[in-house]
Amino acid sequence: MFDIFNVYLPIAEMQFNALILVAIGFSVGVLGGFFGVGGAWVVTPALNIFGFPMAYAIGTDLAHIFGKSIVATAKHRKMGNVDMKLGLLSIVGSVVGVEIGAQNVMWLTRLGIAGPIVRYTYMFLLFGLGIYMLYDFLTKDKRAAAQAAKAAEAARAGMALPVRKTWDLPPMIHFPASGITISFWTVTFVFLFTGYLSGFLGVGGGFIRMPALIYLIGCPTAIAVGTDLFSVLFSGAYGCFTYGVKGRVEIIAAILMLIGASIGAQIGVTAVKYIRGYGIRLLFAIMIILAGASVALKQFNLTTAAAWMVMSAALGMCVVIMVQLWQGVQKERAEKAGH
Amino acid sequence: MKRFWVVFFNCFLLSLPTLGWAAAEKAEALEKKVNLANLSGINYMFAKWYNENMWLYALIVTVLMGVVGMLIALVTDIFLKMAGMEVSKIEHHE
Repeated sequence: MFDIFNVYLPIAEMQFNALILVAIGFSVGVLGGFFGVGGAWVVTPALNIFGFPMAYAIGTDLAHIFGKSIVATAKHRKMGNVDMKLGLLSIVGSVVGVEIGAQNVMWLTRLGIAGPIVRYTYMFLLFGLGIYMLYDFLTKDKRAAAQAAKAAEAARAGMALPVRKTWDLPPMIHFPASGITISFWTVTFVFLFTGYLSGFLGVGGGFIRMPALIYLIGCPTAIAVGTDLFSVLFSGAYGCFTYGVKGRVEIIAAILMLIGASIGAQIGVTAVKYIRGYGIRLLFAIMIILAGASVALKQFNLTTAAAWMVMSAALGMCVVIMVQLWQGVQKERAEKAGH
Repeated sequence: MKRFWVVFFNCFLLSLPTLGWAAAEKAEALEKKVNLANLSGINYMFAKWYNENMWLYALIVTVLMGVVGMLIALVTDIFLKMAGMEVSKIEHHE
């Protein structure tokens, strides 16, 4: 029935359903704009599952991620969610990291072990980060109460709260937009590591960089989202070009995905305006745990179940985000009308 | 002495990415030529660039992604504004 939507992909030399590509693009566009990630942790397994040749999956994915992140970053910037200084610092680390990662995955492909290693690394990262963020969300009130009790006790004793020990190897850099001062090396290694993962896993690197910006660098959630997308823009551009030179980008598929993603990204970014930081973190944690579960199913050869899992999770989360956006808009309208 | 160790440690950290890069295998291009026989129009153009000059192909892909992304963003923005979903600076709440 959906065969009428089949298009010919000239580089991969095969027919593929355009609706699947636009739908994948749209759903990761919404997720990407909202969470500040490229969304390749959904796209690469989804393309793989629907029979897209793996030789082109990573490059095509990075190409569409680049286009989409231009859209999303511009909008986040309007909302004051992009720390340009922090984002610019990410360029060097990300570019070097992507190249090392891309070369490593080619080497593993030659050895014939790239598939399982990439999937196991995916699973470890998705589950690990998801569970940690969920734990962080569930214990936030308890931690806030403990911190308040400590502050009250210190005030009673007439002492200042002890300063938390941090990694402070000079040079230290101040980021006014995020309101933080941090070692240059912390920032560099965070971006180098996430850039490496970007090249190795064929992802924008955002699903690890966004939590890293929050937990390791100390950015507010909305700024982590916007700044992460700014970084994804550069790693995506470099990834797009370097995979293009290696002949691994299917251009027609990338354009179709980009059409869906650009529309979705606008919706996702707008939703950030209506949801608080911890709400974003909770939804992000749920999403990456579900993405990890789909990769695990794939590893056990449950391909169809994995396909349903990843696509249902992405579409379900899109619905949640769009409902939240709609409710936020309605509430805002009601408040304006009340005034 | 402390300053010396800071400079020394900075130099060491700076050299780490280079070591990683040197240790990595060189990336391999996909050795493939697309069959142009049954292609026409834009598909033919893309495949021809792909066959003849991979650098040009990569450049076209990168530029095209940026341009298409911006154009779609422009159009979507107009529709979102019409729906009352315009955005401006927000306050950051955790």
